[in-house]
Amino acid sequence: MSRALSQPLVLWGLLVGDALLGATPASALTWFKQLRAQAVERVGVLTVPTTRDEDWRFTDVSPIAMLSFQPARNTSGQTLVDIAGFMLPEVAARLVFVDGVYAPQLSRNDSGIVVANLADAVLAHASEIEAQLARHADFQDSVFSALNTAFLHDGAVVLIPRGVRLEKPVHVLYLATREAAASYPRCLLIAGAGSAATLIEDYRSLSEVAYLTNAVTEMALAQDAHIKHVRVQRESGVAFHIGQCVVSAAKASRYESVSIAQGARISRYGLNVQLCAGAECTADGLALIDGEQLADTHTTIDHAAPDGRSRQLHKCIVGGTAHAVFNGKVMVRRGAQHTDSAQASRNLLLSPRARIDTKPQLEIFADDVKCAHGATVGQLDADEVFYLRSRGLSEQAARDLLTFAFGAEVIERIPVAALREQLKAQALAYTHH
Amino acid sequence: MSTALQNLVNQPYKHGFVTDIESDVAAKGLSTDTIRMISAKKQEPEWLLEFRLKAYEHWLTMEEPRWPNVHYPKIDFQAISYYSAPKPKKLASMDEVDPELLRTFEKLGVPMNERAKLAGVAVDVIFDSVSVATTYKQKLADVGVIFCSISEAVREHPELVRQYMGSVVPAGDNYYAALNSAVFTDGSFCFIPKGVKCPMELSTYFRINTEESGQFERTLIIAEDGASVSYLEGCTAPKFDTNQLHAAVVELVALNDADIKYSTVQNWYAGDENGKGGIYNFVTKRGLCKGVNSRISWTQVETGSAITWKYPSCVLRGENSTGEFYSVALTNHHQQADTGTKMIHIGKGTRSRIISKGISAGVSNNSYRGLVRIAPTAAGARNFSQCDSLLIGDQCGAHTFPYIQVGNPTAKVEHEASTSKIGEDQLFYFAQRGIGAEEAVSLIINGFCKEVFQQLPMEFAVEATQLLGLKLEGSVG
Repeated sequence: MSRALSQPLVLWGLLVGDALLGATPASALTWFKQLRAQAVERVGVLTVPTTRDEDWRFTDVSPIAMLSFQPARNTSGQTLVDIAGFMLPEVAARLVFVDGVYAPQLSRNDSGIVVANLADAVLAHASEIEAQLARHADFQDSVFSALNTAFLHDGAVVLIPRGVRLEKPVHVLYLATREAAASYPRCLLIAGAGSAATLIEDYRSLSEVAYLTNAVTEMALAQDAHIKHVRVQRESGVAFHIGQCVVSAAKASRYESVSIAQGARISRYGLNVQLCAGAECTADGLALIDGEQLADTHTTIDHAAPDGRSRQLHKCIVGGTAHAVFNGKVMVRRGAQHTDSAQASRNLLLSPRARIDTKPQLEIFADDVKCAHGATVGQLDADEVFYLRSRGLSEQAARDLLTFAFGAEVIERIPVAALREQLKAQALAYTHH
Repeated sequence: MSTALQNLVNQPYKHGFVTDIESDVAAKGLSTDTIRMISAKKQEPEWLLEFRLKAYEHWLTMEEPRWPNVHYPKIDFQAISYYSAPKPKKLASMDEVDPELLRTFEKLGVPMNERAKLAGVAVDVIFDSVSVATTYKQKLADVGVIFCSISEAVREHPELVRQYMGSVVPAGDNYYAALNSAVFTDGSFCFIPKGVKCPMELSTYFRINTEESGQFERTLIIAEDGASVSYLEGCTAPKFDTNQLHAAVVELVALNDADIKYSTVQNWYAGDENGKGGIYNFVTKRGLCKGVNSRISWTQVETGSAITWKYPSCVLRGENSTGEFYSVALTNHHQQADTGTKMIHIGKGTRSRIISKGISAGVSNNSYRGLVRIAPTAAGARNFSQCDSLLIGDQCGAHTFPYIQVGNPTAKVEHEASTSKIGEDQLFYFAQRGIGAEEAVSLIINGFCKEVFQQLPMEFAVEATQLLGLKLEGSVG
């Protein structure tokens, strides 16, 4: 059933891309070149997952493999005016990638720390980046992460020195403009001991065309670091989005994330957080989909050491003939005593042909732990609808309001006010149709 | 469990129970010839041989499943003998039974007359089995209930067997079900006619035909419109058995307003403390709620076997039908259990309830794996699942894999799971009231499992309670 090995190489432009990237300054670095060569090799061996793979049972990516995408070569001609609607006020720094290519004319940095394009940063901060880049997002087993690594070139690098606490968020905007383009955005965040920052990753498009985004984000949190991560996937409704984020949280560090999935025809987001002793994490998510969309979220929270704490709330609102998938794995490794973990998967089906597949999964190898999970699937509560109707709201208005409130619970957890309001407006638009 | 006891259960033939085996045991190996031989020995009709051969053909094309969270060396299916004539182990009297085993019975509180039977003593030496059998047989026949071995049913009621066998678990359903369909040797058959409430709990203890059913057991229970039955399977004492692989198939069919309750207490040999030996219990159990308002309830207490791998399931096809699953799975030492249920909601207004309690001790691994599927047709379907794990010691594992698949917006599905341990403070509380650690653990576990034990018939519940205590001896404190 697996697709022929060489197919993604050709279809997704690896051969072209490889030639393109051969001459970049970064490729002068031996380790960087080797890393990419290893990834290229893995791409040749790995196959595109099918629904026969347990991890991809409900998400059929064959429509992606059937199409042909080419990576963009040129820098874009967009100006600040073109992207005015995509900017967020009050950010410390902004990095913009158009079709995966760094757009310096759209980016700025007032943060006082390194927020730069990977191709540049890798020369200036080679040792720091070498120690972390591709060390967290494994590309041995995942064809998508191998592809991303094979294409390593442009990407966001955020280096937060020890003890530095950024007040304002760093905004990374991935903008798609071209039909049939493949982009391989990469993001690497390294947080020094006791540092703090907020990172926003926003995936958007200028036009409703089909393209492929295959993103990988890696974060390394040193001891006592505190990172807030907001990931908003609002790609074009006919696009394909495969994203992966791997977080390594050192002792007593804290990782808080909210991820929103509302775009793309087929999207898949994998979040993998490894918690060392006393580390904490919250991983909240909302999939708000309609029409023929498919949104798949796979999360793994790995309690690798004692005294970790994790909280997770994942919600799906599914209309039309859309299909939401959630697989939330919580792992408690041997010796990770006093782990405290709670996970909730809440799902709302809005139409008779909408579908949910959810699997909250626990794997526990330690006895002195508190682990709980819960999952619910259903429709709006009849009593709540009745209550609103008794206050004079129409049936439809009552339903819309309750649906919005259901989703807003997750949106409210986003720590950036401007983004929060934007997303709430979008959720309102979703519910009032 | 004490080593002495384990050693004991590992040596069933120590006292020379069996003589003259050769003539009744088929040569090892599996082929169409083996299947023809089994069918011929049992004088089966042509259609059943066809059924077996088809299943075998299908089995050859299948791969051994690798997805369960259990690990074991590859099974050599050619090294198994697929037919041996029933040979009940007979001892002349209770005096010949190993005293260790008798002590186990004592601890479990197994009634005197059952002890004899469980120990392999010919029942008629102790009490008049003929009269007992006759009494039961008469009582059941009066109301029209058929309860016999599946071989007998094939001979006496071929039309019923033919109609229902394979209708719930098709011959090619899964690897082990296909194998079972090809080579099953015996099992139970139970038919409750229209409107009949079975006057007694049917138990394999008292099956009129007392033949051993071997490692490929096949059970078929049919409850017609408005009928109801409670069926008990298994035994709380360690079973003498050297068979490595048990691949049984159980099919239940409930027609309109019918009610089937199926209870299992399984305590097969689990291997020694180092994980050597023990039974692989790979069972396919499935009930079909075919009629409206029908109900199928599974209750299981799984404490034995080196590997337990089973998912008693309900296909809720009839409108407003109900499926229930109550389970306690205990693993100790190197035992592995991957068990749970599947609730497939097809009909409107169908309801299901899952209560699963997993207890892991030693270096064992205990997994709950469940599926709740709401088909688009199942308007207003309702499910509630709860699976709790209790870990004893820091070397064991507890896992939960609940698959929830919902395709109808009017359905309501709830799942919750928790993990806990026996706390020092709890033990202290007991100690302060003069209750020792061992007894305290037993009480805590009983509380943990209460919702499931309540579903068991009374005698079973008492035995199951004591069994858990016995299995966990030495795990705490």
